[in-house]
Parts: sequence; structure tokens; C-alpha cells
Amino acid sequence: MSVTTASVTYTREDQRRAEVPYGSPVHNAVTGFLIREARLLDHRHLTEWATMLAEDLEYKAPVRITRRVQQWDQEFGTMGHFDDDYNSIQTRITRLTTTTNAWSEDPASRVRRFVTNVSVWETDLPDEYEVSSYLFLTRNRAEAKDYKQLSAERNDRLRMTADGFKVARRSIMIDQVVLGMPNFAIFL
Amino acid sequence: MRMIPRKEIVNEALSQMMDLENREVSVAMLHDQEIYELELERIFAKAWLLLGHETEIPNVGDYVVRLMGEDQVIVARAADGQVHVSLNVCPHRAMHVCLSDSGNARVHKCIYHGWAFRPDGSFIGAPIEREQMHGNIKTKAQLGLKKARVQLYGGLVFATWNIEGPSLDEWLGDMKFYYDMLFDRTDGGLEVLGPPQRLTIDANWKTAGEQSACDGFHTLTLHGSVIDIGAMGGEHDTAHESAPAMYGINLSGNGHSLRCIPADTSWALAHGKGDLTPEQRLEAFPPPGITPELLPELKRKMSAEQLHVLAKAPPVVGGMFPNANILFIYSPLRDGTLGSALVLHSIMPRGVNQFEWTTYYFAEKGTPEHVKEMMRAAATQGTGTSGIIEQDDSDTWPHMTESARGVIGRTETLKYQAILGENRPADWPDKAKVYEGFGKDDAQWEWWLAYHRLMTAD
Repeated sequence: MSVTTASVTYTREDQRRAEVPYGSPVHNAVTGFLIREARLLDHRHLTEWATMLAEDLEYKAPVRITRRVQQWDQEFGTMGHFDDDYNSIQTRITRLTTTTNAWSEDPASRVRRFVTNVSVWETDLPDEYEVSSYLFLTRNRAEAKDYKQLSAERNDRLRMTADGFKVARRSIMIDQVVLGMPNFAIFL
Repeated sequence: MRMIPRKEIVNEALSQMMDLENREVSVAMLHDQEIYELELERIFAKAWLLLGHETEIPNVGDYVVRLMGEDQVIVARAADGQVHVSLNVCPHRAMHVCLSDSGNARVHKCIYHGWAFRPDGSFIGAPIEREQMHGNIKTKAQLGLKKARVQLYGGLVFATWNIEGPSLDEWLGDMKFYYDMLFDRTDGGLEVLGPPQRLTIDANWKTAGEQSACDGFHTLTLHGSVIDIGAMGGEHDTAHESAPAMYGINLSGNGHSLRCIPADTSWALAHGKGDLTPEQRLEAFPPPGITPELLPELKRKMSAEQLHVLAKAPPVVGGMFPNANILFIYSPLRDGTLGSALVLHSIMPRGVNQFEWTTYYFAEKGTPEHVKEMMRAAATQGTGTSGIIEQDDSDTWPHMTESARGVIGRTETLKYQAILGENRPADWPDKAKVYEGFGKDDAQWEWWLAYHRLMTAD
């Protein structure tokens, strides 16, 4: 197989154990965490958002490829639109919050993140969960009448700590092969 | 009423819109449908275009689908082991023959009526052979997919529809001497680090095209945030003068360009001052993308003149006319060491007000795997979709394009009037046009002159 396709499975289904029932305390806590996270990002509370990230964070958004259905399981590449860790996310936040010339988000986009279809699984570690959620995002900027939109499935590894949940891994599976927005100066 | 041929109208319009004497280009050029249609014919159907890299398709039958202007092509490795580029349009009813971005197929069979083609584009036949459903007017040999002319260079796949035109070597001219230092400098050569990023920017393709020709000046302002957070080096109080190495050597030929940053500047940014000779510095601080292990290969493969350039001021950014952008830059890696990001973009028009921006990341094949992974991460964090450098560019180009929508706005001009003039240093090779000093508009104006030559060619 050519190097253009990844054998990596970003969904990490192999790490999922028993599914946590919808409506249970853990499921509610995870859903609440994701909603709070979306609110912080939508309101550009980026420094506060960063406290929700684990220091061993892996944050990726692999490029997607249109494949025949026979190769349905090889539609994500080794390259990504994001290929980040905790430090690089901090650098992005520093740029966006402490400089006065981060032009791609100044003036800022108006972004709304709708998070739904939350599924939670236990893992081999008692304090960690695999979480799948759907993200629908609208982004409006300046006087544009239309919205740049994006839909994706996010596969997260959440870790419960004394401080609450932390995102230890996020794989963002975007539904577009050719992105409709000109950059990701925003977080997903 | 006499119909005036479009070519005449456009030639007249071009002479109005490009002031060659004063080096100004009308903003209307960014929003003109007639000009755009002519660009597709005269630039994108004539130029050598970058379509990817052969390491994307290592095996017989491997293919990727790419754009040449607004035309889709199949870039495939055929049974002969060679890379072929064929129009992705069935000669029968114009259906796209190939419907996925990439894969492996020994036969590309059109899903509409079943006409089948080999990876080299040749026609195998239509279903129900005895009925000869391709008719008896044209032979099978005449019914293959339309073939582009292909040339590999350092593994990069270039193709053109200009079958009788200049060879790729002639097209690159003197600049090939410099491009060799990026693309063809080791025994193993480059490899891609995965399938490219693709995104849409609501801007005319020329906004990104002309910038790729060594617009160093915008770094100070548009990328000021990256300088402010220290990601481009420089002393704190003088960062905006020194950081992105504003003083260097720009090169230009046939509209192609490269910007060379003095190695002592890069060295000082990375390691502080030092008194190394150029040769010692090349040892201690190889050009971007070259690890210490690869240095002997580089020295063997490059000529003495090329090694001199690499030791004095290696090329790091630039473009290949009309629509490729190069960044082979130093970049910090996540393990704290100073590494590199090797990046190529192609800028493909999708209408007068939109282009597709494709981003490839590379490493030398001989790079350790864990370093390749760090290079890929560094490239992704700095350039392309989410790159903290380039996300500001993708914000700028749409504004320029929108300016051209206003009937008054389009009467403004893009000005290329800050000029260094050719001033080749005595110890620099006598190849291409050489501009030493604070990077100015010279190479970008040369890009427009190359554009003008193609647009007015018969």
C-alpha cells in the first residue's frame, strides 16, 4: 500500500471496553465536561481551556482521503491538519492571547461548537475513558453573511484527576477532504 | 458586427492592466473572468506544474488524483514502472474515470459504460468486445486517456500539456542549479510524510502565486506574532530587524525564485555569535533537512559551487513559477533540538475567486523515523492549515481579492517599485539573477514578467 494512507486507526476502538450507559453519572460528567469545554473555546477563554488538557496530550486531525468503499478503513492519512502536543498548543495560545498581531483571528471569528452523540467507554485504566463525540462547528468572520462549517467526530481519551477530567488524547476525524475554511486558527 | 477574438481583447486588456515601465499591476487582474479563462489556457495548460512526489505511488498501479488548473488528472505508476499523468476524463462520455483520491488499480474502469484504461492511460476496451462499442472510426490506440508530458525531478512529479514546449530543465533554467540543493542533494532523495493537506481559500490564485516569489517583507508585519513569541529567533529588542533574516540573497530566473538566508545569520540566531569558517559551519550546522549523517552524501553530490552557496547562504524559501511555494526552513523540534520543516505548496485555481491550497511535507529518506515524525509535527505547527506562520497568509489573500470587486478598488495597483537591482556578490555563482541585500520586490516583479510572457505568447 502506498505511503499516502495510514494504517493507524485514529478511532482506537481496540481500547474501548464496556460502554458506559447513557444517563449514568460518568456519562453525565463526561458530557458536562465537553459542553463546558465548547463554551470556553467559543468565548475565547483559551488559557482556562488549556487547564483541561493533560501534559502528555496528543492532539491530531488527520487528513482525510476519498477512498473506494473496499478501502473504507484507510481513509485517514499519516499527515494531519493538527499534529500537536501540550507545548505546541500552549505556543498557539500564547500567540493568540499575548500578541497584538495574530491576524488570522484578529478580528476574531464568531465560532459555535455544537457537541452531541456522546459515547463513553471504560478502558483498561480505572480513571480513563474513551469518548466519541460529534462536533458541528460554525465559524463566521467580519461581515461575511455565510458561515464556514465543519463537522467531525472526535475520539478522546479523558483522564479523571483530582482536578477533574483532562483531555489526554484527541483525534479529530473531519468529514471534509478539502477543507472549506482557509485555516485552523481555532481549536476543534 | 465583427467579432473580436478573445485573445485580442485580452491582449489589449493586459497591456492596460500591467504597467511594465512602472512595475504596477492593476488590482482588476484579481477579479476578471476573461483573464482567468485565458490563464487556464495559457498558464495552467502550458506551464510545468507540480503534482506531487513519486514516493506517494511506490508500487505498480498506485495512483493519486491531482489538479492541473481545473482539470483532474490521474498520476499513476504503470506496469513499466514509470509515472504517467492522464486526464481523468473518459473519452467516451466525459465521465470521471477515477472517483477516489488515491489507491491501487491495474485497471481504471469508467463506472458509466465500462470503458477501461491502464494506469498509463491506454485504452483496454469497452464491455462486450464482440460488439465493438467504441465503434470502428477510431482505433483503440486513439481512444486512450489524454496524456500529459511528465518529468520527474528529485522525485517530484511535474507535468504539462505543452507537449512540444520547453523541457523541464529548460523551464527551470539556471534556477535548477539552486533547486538541486533542495530536491536532488542526497542518494536516497526526499519522501513525502503522508498525503497532502487540502483546503479552499476564497482568493484569486495570483495573490498566493506572486507572494511565493520571495516576498520576505511581509514577514515583519503579517507574521509579527510569530516574531513576538520568539518562534523566529532574534534578540528581543531588535527582533523585528533581525529575526526572519531580512538581509539575504534573492534569486530569480524564468519567474522562479529562491531566497537564501546567510548561514551566519541562522547560526547566530540558533547558537549566538561564533567565528566559524563557512566550511566549519556547514559541518556544524547543515542546511535545513540535512542531518549530520546525510552531510557526506550532500558533499559528494553537490558541486564545489553549490557547496559554497550552501555554506554561505542556503536557499530556504521561494517559489516555482507559476504556482508552487517552497519552505525548507529550520524549525525547533519537540525534543528541544533545532530541526527542519520541509514544505511544498501548490496553488491551484478553482474559479477566479478561489483556489485550492495543497500542502506536502517532506523529509530526506535517510532521516531517522523518529526525526521524521518530529519534522512532520513541526511543519504542521508552523505551516499549512493550522500553521502559526501561514494561517495569517490565508487570511490576507481573500481581502486582496475582495478589494478587486469594487469598481474603484480595482482601479488601484499592486506596486513593485522597491527594487534592489541585480548585484551579484563576487564570490556567488553566475547563475540566475542575484539580488543581495534587504529583500525587495525584484523577484516578485520577475514573477509577473514571466506571467506576462506566457499570457501574451502566441
